[in-house]
Amino acid sequence: MLRSRPERRTAIGQLAAGGLFAATVGGAFVLDGYWLRTLTEVFLIASIAQSINIIAGFTGYAAFGQVVFFGLGNYAAAIAMTTLGAPFLAGAALGSVVCAGFAMVCGVPLFRLKGHYFAIATLGLNEAVKAVVNNWSGLTRGGAGISLPLPPGNVIGNAQAFYGAFLTLMWTSIAVVWLLGRTRFGYACRAIRADEDAAAATGVNPLFYKTGAWMLSAVLAGWAGSLYAYWQSYIEPSVVFNMDVSIEGFVVLLLGGAGSVFGPIVAAFVFQIVSTLAWGQLLIFHLGLMGILIMLTVLLLPQRSTWAERRGVVVAGLMFAGRLVRARP
Amino acid sequence: MLLAQALVNGILLGGLYACIAVGFSLIWGVMNLINLAHGSFVLLGAYVTAMLNQAFGLDPFLTIPFSGGVLFVLGYVIQRGLVNLVIARSVFTTLIFTFGLNMLLVNLLLLAFTADLRGITVSYAGIVWQLGGVRIPSTRVAVFLAALLLTALLSLFTNRTRLGAAIKATSFDVDAARLVGIDVDHIYAATFAIGAAMAGAAGSLIAVNLPFSPVVGDFYTMKAFVVVVLGGLGSIPGVLVGGMVLGITDNIASVVLDPGYRDAVSFTLLVLVLVLSPRGLFGKRFYAEIKA
Repeated sequence: MLRSRPERRTAIGQLAAGGLFAATVGGAFVLDGYWLRTLTEVFLIASIAQSINIIAGFTGYAAFGQVVFFGLGNYAAAIAMTTLGAPFLAGAALGSVVCAGFAMVCGVPLFRLKGHYFAIATLGLNEAVKAVVNNWSGLTRGGAGISLPLPPGNVIGNAQAFYGAFLTLMWTSIAVVWLLGRTRFGYACRAIRADEDAAAATGVNPLFYKTGAWMLSAVLAGWAGSLYAYWQSYIEPSVVFNMDVSIEGFVVLLLGGAGSVFGPIVAAFVFQIVSTLAWGQLLIFHLGLMGILIMLTVLLLPQRSTWAERRGVVVAGLMFAGRLVRARP
Repeated sequence: MLLAQALVNGILLGGLYACIAVGFSLIWGVMNLINLAHGSFVLLGAYVTAMLNQAFGLDPFLTIPFSGGVLFVLGYVIQRGLVNLVIARSVFTTLIFTFGLNMLLVNLLLLAFTADLRGITVSYAGIVWQLGGVRIPSTRVAVFLAALLLTALLSLFTNRTRLGAAIKATSFDVDAARLVGIDVDHIYAATFAIGAAMAGAAGSLIAVNLPFSPVVGDFYTMKAFVVVVLGGLGSIPGVLVGGMVLGITDNIASVVLDPGYRDAVSFTLLVLVLVLSPRGLFGKRFYAEIKA
């Protein structure tokens, strides 16, 4: 019996998701160092985008300063591994606890705000934390940054290991978002985005769900941060609390579509490739080119478009990226 | 005595902060748009002043009409040609858009003027008054007075002119403004242009007092944020008070704690004020109501 169209689309979607999953896993064994590194960065950005998706996409609160959790995850892992001499996983676990706790403590007062005011408050939060990290030299070594212990093993083995770790993080965050779209928790968050007062009237406790969603997204960003610290083996406040991390996440989410599984992955890929190649070829105008691309992304994408409507833009981006790849010296 | 000096420095710096923030506040209050490129507009004004000073030896205070004028035109074009296209979108869309605009402007400034720190030393920079052990540099006082004058001019403009009334009407109710024949696109562009012109003028004042380079714009955007949140939207006296409060806290925090903690204090202040009194000290109703 022929299947109906939506069912067939779901089946195709599942098949494609499986294929992409297999391809990304298999990539660890066949790619060279350059591509391992580039794709690891793609997975990092895609993870950040999904973390932002949970708070901004589901509950509608634009946590512009989301990078604060990335930075906290970095510093939690780095301090645990150097000062406390703990293994990486313990450091990352500490990062999760710090991020979730910080989101909870800050969420209760900050979720009294909405719209721009919430966005700015999170921005202010990031700047305040960055300034404290910069100055609390006893704990964080201030602007000098922290060098982490190098992971054991050879270079290519480590590159593969970090590729695998960020890949796991990305698929975990995709799974979390996918599940969120199908659970009571996710429905409550969406109800809050649609109309917070109406949601409250039907028995949804907005503060509980908003804070819960932010804690969840904070933990994902924190893990991304902890992994990043171990991967880079050197961190400093101006890098890991840089607003660019938040912006990249938001742009990728905007480009890929909040409701889609593939969108953010493909968008992260396009964004990262274009950014890397722009660095290589247009060193003195790299920043300006990224600015223009960000503005074009906002201008060209319809506000509530579906993946089908975005496909054209993303495919064009891929083709542009492909041309740049071929032009790579 | 150190505290008295910090207080005086804080008040003088506060006037400058207010002048930087008043254009930011106007744009935010009327269009519900947060312009993350505001700091770059300020710097553009500073560079206009530096160029005129270098080429013709013009006094920085006399360059204010030029820096304001250049930014007015640029602001009008940017709003009419770009920002108006996305103005009705969601919060994070417009934030990201102006962030991208800022990246472009910073890069263009870097290409045009290099990353070198610049500053202007005027001939009367050495004149410093002593008042009971407190040092009062004449240039800071001049900048303070010029900043107050510019802010007062903007206040007169919005309260006493036809265009000012149209801007207010548009900010209260866009649909009603359209019904009475106001060209909203033009009003938005004019508002953005006036906000940018105030930023450019503030940039000329910065050039007199502080060193600047293309990458310090974000610092001034952040200061404008804090000032506007402290003072509240839609109130020019509020911006003045917000500027003073920030100038004083910045200076006192540098003396009491450590200069490094200055930003931590001002951003903690920002978050606290947002949480405790989102409308700020003097915020009025109808200006970008606290809703999504």
